[in-house]
Amino acid sequence: MKQKKMFIRAAIIFLSPIALVFLTLFIGRYPVPLKEMPNILVYPIFRQLNGLEDTYYTIIWEIRLPRAILAGLVGASLAASGAAFQGLFRNPLVNSGILGVSSGAGFGAVLAILLLSPASHLVYIFALLFGGVAVFFSYMIGKIYNSTPTIMLILGGVVVSSIFTSLISLIKYVSDPFNQLPAITFWLMGSLASASSQELLIGAPPMLVGVIGLNLIRWRINVLSMGDREAQTLGINVKLDKLMAICFATLSTAGAVCVSGTIGWVGLIIPHIGRMIVGNDNKALIPISCALGASFLIIVDNVSRTIISGEVPIGILTSLIGGPFFIYLLKQTKGGAW
Amino acid sequence: MRHQIEVKNTSFSYSDKQVFSNLSLNVGEREIFCIVGPNGCGKTTLLDCILGLLRPDSGEIVVDGLRLQGIEAKKLAERLAYVPQVHHRTFPYLVKDIVLMGRAYRTSPFTAPSKEDRAIAMAAMSWVGIQALADTPYTQISGGQCQMVMIARALAQQPKVIVMDEPTSHLDFKNELLLLEIIEELVKNNGISILMATHFPNHAYHFEAKGLRTNLALMNNGAFERIGKPREILNEENVRSIYGINSRVLDCSLDNNTALRQIVPLSIVKDK
Repeated sequence: MKQKKMFIRAAIIFLSPIALVFLTLFIGRYPVPLKEMPNILVYPIFRQLNGLEDTYYTIIWEIRLPRAILAGLVGASLAASGAAFQGLFRNPLVNSGILGVSSGAGFGAVLAILLLSPASHLVYIFALLFGGVAVFFSYMIGKIYNSTPTIMLILGGVVVSSIFTSLISLIKYVSDPFNQLPAITFWLMGSLASASSQELLIGAPPMLVGVIGLNLIRWRINVLSMGDREAQTLGINVKLDKLMAICFATLSTAGAVCVSGTIGWVGLIIPHIGRMIVGNDNKALIPISCALGASFLIIVDNVSRTIISGEVPIGILTSLIGGPFFIYLLKQTKGGAW
Repeated sequence: MRHQIEVKNTSFSYSDKQVFSNLSLNVGEREIFCIVGPNGCGKTTLLDCILGLLRPDSGEIVVDGLRLQGIEAKKLAERLAYVPQVHHRTFPYLVKDIVLMGRAYRTSPFTAPSKEDRAIAMAAMSWVGIQALADTPYTQISGGQCQMVMIARALAQQPKVIVMDEPTSHLDFKNELLLLEIIEELVKNNGISILMATHFPNHAYHFEAKGLRTNLALMNNGAFERIGKPREILNEENVRSIYGINSRVLDCSLDNNTALRQIVPLSIVKDK
């Protein structure tokens, strides 16, 4: 009985992102008549408009769908990398930005906005690149001790994060307050407003590789969370596995940050919601975090683009919506086994 | 006789500080080797070298016929398991999840343990007598039970040798005896050799009285002052020499016509 119940619950959690993406197609300010929906949905297969307005097609297939998929991917990436970093650093309080990837990517993006233009595609590339650079520096700082002990990695991350945060402030200070500064501020608040199939094309590959990689290596994260000494005596190559996990987590976070800006909260709290539901075994935790993160961000993004006539940056809403939900769940599960 | 662990003329130093030099020891099959010595004498560092965590400056360490130098962690874990002094519990993993990690060396980075591995882990828990705790978060069990979980995890590795670093240092009387008896069973029934560092020289007497092949090394200042049978070397004079304390060796006869020897610390030797 208990097993059946658990199976049904897992099925619901894993199917909900797909259902939510589908649901998102119907949500938005521009009214798309419900009876036209079947026609629009099959359009890419039959390539017949049947007297449909072009606009409908564009809204569903080129705006709402890429945006929903992107929101799902970003949520899954942040949640998976957050869960992985928590295990890796044996610290339930770290999030996906612990090694400086978010501030690095943020710096890359604002640098591109300053030097080029807010609309340039190089903003994504710069964000991705500097996210990786930041983690590389953190890792090298951790490696000064030649065995990358956890505490040195975290310290490295803190130092690199603060350097890049200062650099972001510096750029804000020297940027043009009428054109560039608003763009920079908006980018840093995090938003999926500019989502398009092109953005999907840039952001999806690193996120997919990262998320799939983390899902593949997930059981090893259990072993790594025993600490370096024990993990090595249990017979795993600690250095290599740690490096792989860091690379996958960095790819997914950098991919997410480069298309959505810095969205806080997801990488810290979604894994904990997962822990309450399935426990701490990363074998179950990382997939469930992906599904929960995806569902959560799709929902929040729908709210962010419909709640007012403009758009509320999603980074503001994540904790506004997620916070109460977290408290509710804490009450329901008594916090799991903590 | 075949040796499970051979340490030959091994030295280790941290940058400029020599921790130990020219140490040699052999642990045979079905044998218990205890290392006793004051805090900071280099016991744990020596164990770390044997566990492959530190690389000695010179000498050679061989575990079950395998030279440790440049060997993969996986190869060593097949032969040798480790029970830490204290295990720091962070996430509330279930007991069975922890024991299953003993099978890690059988997995690739991208795979989880198989059904067979899970069965082995389950058997290890039953052997140690903690199967009832399998689905309990291991942050909610006592320190004594946690040590049993560590033993079960080591056993799940199906090793030839288990290295223990002061395994009883946080246990009460009963749990200490429970652990000693489990060690005894491991050696007698499973043919596993034990290398342990301990702060309780009486453990060596305990194992010897149970009829197990026991060797003892008295370590001080990075060297073995004596190696031999507990009854031969663990005496008042040697204890005075390595710990600087006065002590008394007592023999007590037990009900079943056996005798147990114990050494009792009395007072600190005052400088002349």
